[in-house]
Amino acid sequence: MKLSLGAILAICLAGLQLIAVLSVVLSSYVTSERVLLDHARSLLSDLGINAIEHSKGFLKPARGTAELAKRLAENEIVASDNPEILEKLLFQNLQISPQFSGLYYGDETGSFVYVMRSKGPGPYRTKIITNSKGDRSTKFIWRNEDYSIVESRFDATDTFDPRERPWYKNALSTRNIIWTDPYIFFSSKKPGITAASPVISSNGQLDGVIGVDIEIEAISDFLSNLKIGNNGAVIILNRNGDVIAHPNPALIKIEDADGVLQFANIKEISDPIAQAAFGNFIKTDDVTIAREINSKFKHAGDTYISTLMPMAKSDLPWTIAVYVPEDDFIGGIKDNRARNIWIAFAIAIITGLLGLKLADRINKPVRDFAARAELVSKGKVSSSDDLPKTYPELEEANETLVHEIVQRKISEREYGQTFKLASRGMAEISPNTGRFIRVNSQLEDILGFTADELLGMRFSDILHPDDSDTYAFFQDAVHEDYEYNQEKRYIHKDGTTIWLRVNAILIRDEHGKPLHAVATVDDVTTQKVSEAKINGLSRDLSHFARVNMMGQMASGLAHELNQPLTAITQNADAALSTLAEQTEPNSELSEILTELDQQAHRGADIIRALRGFVRKDEGIKTVFDLTELVEQALRLVQPETTEHDITIDFKTDDIPNVIGNRIQIAQVLVNLIRNAIEAIASGETGVKQIDVIAKSNNGFVEIFVEDTGTGINPDINLFTQFETTKSDGMGLGLSFSRSIVEANGGKLWYDLEYTEKSRFCFTLVSSPKNQEALSNV
Amino acid sequence: MSDANLTVFLVDDDEDIRSSLARALAKRGFEVETYVSAEAFLEDYDGEQSGCLLLDYGMPRMNGLELQNHMIKKGFSIPIIFITGHGGVPESVQAMKAGAIDFLEKPFRQKTLIDCINGAFEKAITAQQNEKKTRELHIKFARLTEREKEIAQLMVSNSSNTTSKDIGRQLNISPRTVDHHRARILEKMNIKSVTELVDISLRANLFS
Repeated sequence: MKLSLGAILAICLAGLQLIAVLSVVLSSYVTSERVLLDHARSLLSDLGINAIEHSKGFLKPARGTAELAKRLAENEIVASDNPEILEKLLFQNLQISPQFSGLYYGDETGSFVYVMRSKGPGPYRTKIITNSKGDRSTKFIWRNEDYSIVESRFDATDTFDPRERPWYKNALSTRNIIWTDPYIFFSSKKPGITAASPVISSNGQLDGVIGVDIEIEAISDFLSNLKIGNNGAVIILNRNGDVIAHPNPALIKIEDADGVLQFANIKEISDPIAQAAFGNFIKTDDVTIAREINSKFKHAGDTYISTLMPMAKSDLPWTIAVYVPEDDFIGGIKDNRARNIWIAFAIAIITGLLGLKLADRINKPVRDFAARAELVSKGKVSSSDDLPKTYPELEEANETLVHEIVQRKISEREYGQTFKLASRGMAEISPNTGRFIRVNSQLEDILGFTADELLGMRFSDILHPDDSDTYAFFQDAVHEDYEYNQEKRYIHKDGTTIWLRVNAILIRDEHGKPLHAVATVDDVTTQKVSEAKINGLSRDLSHFARVNMMGQMASGLAHELNQPLTAITQNADAALSTLAEQTEPNSELSEILTELDQQAHRGADIIRALRGFVRKDEGIKTVFDLTELVEQALRLVQPETTEHDITIDFKTDDIPNVIGNRIQIAQVLVNLIRNAIEAIASGETGVKQIDVIAKSNNGFVEIFVEDTGTGINPDINLFTQFETTKSDGMGLGLSFSRSIVEANGGKLWYDLEYTEKSRFCFTLVSSPKNQEALSNV
Repeated sequence: MSDANLTVFLVDDDEDIRSSLARALAKRGFEVETYVSAEAFLEDYDGEQSGCLLLDYGMPRMNGLELQNHMIKKGFSIPIIFITGHGGVPESVQAMKAGAIDFLEKPFRQKTLIDCINGAFEKAITAQQNEKKTRELHIKFARLTEREKEIAQLMVSNSSNTTSKDIGRQLNISPRTVDHHRARILEKMNIKSVTELVDISLRANLFS
C-alpha cells in the first residue's frame, strides 16, 4: 500500500516525537527507580550498621566487668570478708554505668553481693547473702545516690544460691567472660542480658564470678528513635529468632502459660510486617546468617525492601533486620514519575497535534497540486493555467509535465486530423474482436457504410466470401506483429465487389499491451479492373499471336505458292495453245498438259482451304480508343523497357476513335514497339528513346513508332516474309503487321526519307463521330 | 474474237506471272502489254487505248485498288479485272463496288479468265460506241447558237413546265420566238422530241 505524502508526514512528525518523549520518560522511569532503590538499600545497610554499632557501644561497658573482676582479685576484696567494700565498689560502678541495672558477685562459698537500681524506697538496693559455715543470712539495703541508707532489712526466706545460676556455671567452666541469651529480668520485668566474668586469684584459683545485668530495653528505645522512611523499622533478633529489640518494646514481651515473661519469637510477634519480612529466613530455630542479605517482599499490597545483617565483630549471635516500604523512598519519585508520564502524554498529544498541523501545512501545496492535476486530467482546468503556490521542485515537474501534455495533445490532434483528413480510408480495429473502433469519412465513402454502421461491424463482415481466409491472415499478421499488406476483395454496401489494399499494423501501449490495429485502406478496384483488362489483352494477344501466326503463315504461303502455281497454269495453257497449232494433234501431250493444269489448281484449292480455315479466326472490327490501346501496349512492354533502361514517350493530339480489330492493332503496336526495343538493345546507342506519336490526318489516324536504334539495312526488303535483320527472327513480324494493317483498311511502311531516327508508320481508319461499333465492312 | 484495237494491259510485280500469263494470252490471240508496277502503267497509259486492265491486287507502294481509284479519278473507263494471290472478301467487295469486272484469285481457271476478258472487251466496245455517239452529240450541240443552248438547257432542266410562254417570260422574249428556236434545236440535233433531248443530254452530259 502506498501512503500519501500527508500520511507519511503525519506519521513521521507525530510518531517520531511520541517515540522521543516516551523513550526519555521510560529511560528516566527505569534509571531513577534503580538509583533510588540502590540508595535505599545503602540507607538500610547504614541503618543496620548504625544499629549494630549502637548495640555494641551500648554493651561495651559490660566488658568492663572483666576489668572489674581482675581488680577485685588484685585487691583481694573478694577474699576479705568485708562485703561492704565490695558493695561500695559495685555501687560506684553501677552509678557510672546507666545501662547497668545491677552488678553482683558470687563466690564459691555461696556468698552473694548484689547492687541494683530500685524503684523505692531508695534508688539503689543492695542484696547481701552471707554463707559461712552453714550460717546463712540475706540482707536488703536501700540507699540514696550519696550511698546513705534509706532502709535495710533481712530476709530469712531467701534461698538464692549464686552457684546454682547458669551465668556462674558458664563463667566458671569457660574461665572467660560470658554473655547470656537475653531474657526478661525477673525483678524489673525488663529485657536484659547478663555478662559474667570469673575472678581468678594470682595463684590461679577461682574465687568467684562477677556479673552485670544490662537492660537492653534502651536498645529498643534507640531503635524506636531511628527514622527509617515513614514506616521502616529496625529489629534485633537473637539466634533463636526471639525479638530482643523492637521500636515498640511492648511487643517483645509475652507471658507464657506459667505467667513467666518471655521474648516474643519473630514467628509470633504481633508485628505482621516483621513476620513477613523475615518469615522466609526462619526455616529452623537458628536464624543466624553469615553475611548481609538484601531482599524484597510484599505485604498488604505494599512492596518492602529489607536487609538482614549479622552482628559483625562481636560475640553476640544477633541478627539486625531492617525493612522499609519501598514507597517511603521512591513513592515521591513514583508520584513524580506518574505526573511526568501524564505531562509527557499531554506534551505528546499537543506536539502530535502540532505535528499533524505542520504535516498538513507542508502537504497542502502538494495536495492542491494533486487536486489541480485531477482537474486538468478531467479537462476542467487547462494545464497552462496558473499553478497554486507550491514548491519549486513541483513547479519544475509541472512545467515538464505540461510541456509533455501539450506535446501529447498536439500529437493527438495531429493524429486525429491525419486520421480524419487522410486521403485514404483509415480505421482502428480491435485486434481481438476485429471490430471497427474508429473510421474516417474516406472509409465510409469506400465501403458505402456510414460510420455508425461500421462501428457496429467487424472487419470480417465486409470480406468477400471467396477471400474469407483473409481475416485469419489479418489476425495472424496483427498478432505476430508484422505488417499486414494485402489486396483482397470486399463487399460494398450495395453488394458489389470492390478491391481494397489494406495495410495494417498493431499499435501497442508503453507496456507492450496491444491497443488496436491501424489500417489504411485504398480502393484499388479501378486499378484491378484495368490490370484485368491488360491481362486480358495480353492473354488475347498471345492467343491471337499463335492463331495469327498460323493464319499469316498460311496466308503468306498461299501468296507465295499461288504465284508459281499461276505461272504453271499459264504455262500449261500456253503449251496447250501451242499444241493446238500443230498440224498433227498429240492427244497424249494434251492430256499431260491438262493434267498439269488440273494438279496446279488442286494445289491451289488445298492452300485456299487451309487459308479459309484460318480466316475464320479473324476478329470483328470495332470502334475503339487508340490512345487507351497505346497506353495498354506500353504497359505490356514495360518490363522490357525497364530491363534495357529505355524511355518511351507517347505523344498524341486529340485524335478520333479508330475502326479496326482492336487485338490485331494491339499486336501490330506491340510488334513495332518490340522491334524498336530490340533495335536499341542490340546496338550501342547513347540515347535510348522510343517515341510513339499518333496524329489525325484526313480521315485516318497516323501512328509513328520512332527509335534511336541501329537503323535498317537498306538491302533487306523489310516487308517480305522470311527476310529479317534479326539473328533470331523469322522475318514474319513486319509482313504480318502489314497484312493486319491492310486488312484493317490502313497501310504500314518504313519512312526512308526520315533519317534522324528509324521510323515505322501505319494508318488506321478514323471513325465518324457517334459511331460506336461496326460489323464486318 | 480479237479486235485489233483491244489490248490486255497486265500489271503485276511478279516477273513469272507477267511472262507466263502474257504468253498464254498471246497464244490465245490477245494483244498483251505488261507493266511491272502501277506507276509504270500510269506513265504509259493515256486513256485512249481500249481493252482491259488485268491488275494484281497486292503490290508494293501503289496496290491494285489504289490504281483503280486513280483511274476513276482520271476518268479512264477501261474495265479492270483484279487478280490476287491472297484476295480477301473486304478487298474484293471494295474493288467490285468501284466497278471492277471481277476479282479473280490466283491461280484461276483459264476459261474463267478468258470469259472475264471477253466480257470486259464487250464492255469496252460498248463504251467505245457510246463515247462515239456522245462525241457526235457534243459536236451537234456545239453547232447551236448561245440562245438555242440557253433555251435547250431550260427545256431539259424543267421539262414538265417548259411551255414556250414560260421560257419566253424567263428570257424576256416572245413565245413565238421561243417556238422558232425550239424547231431549230430539234432540227440541228437531229431529234424528234423534247423527251429525246432530255435523254441524250443526260447520257452525254451536255450541260455539265
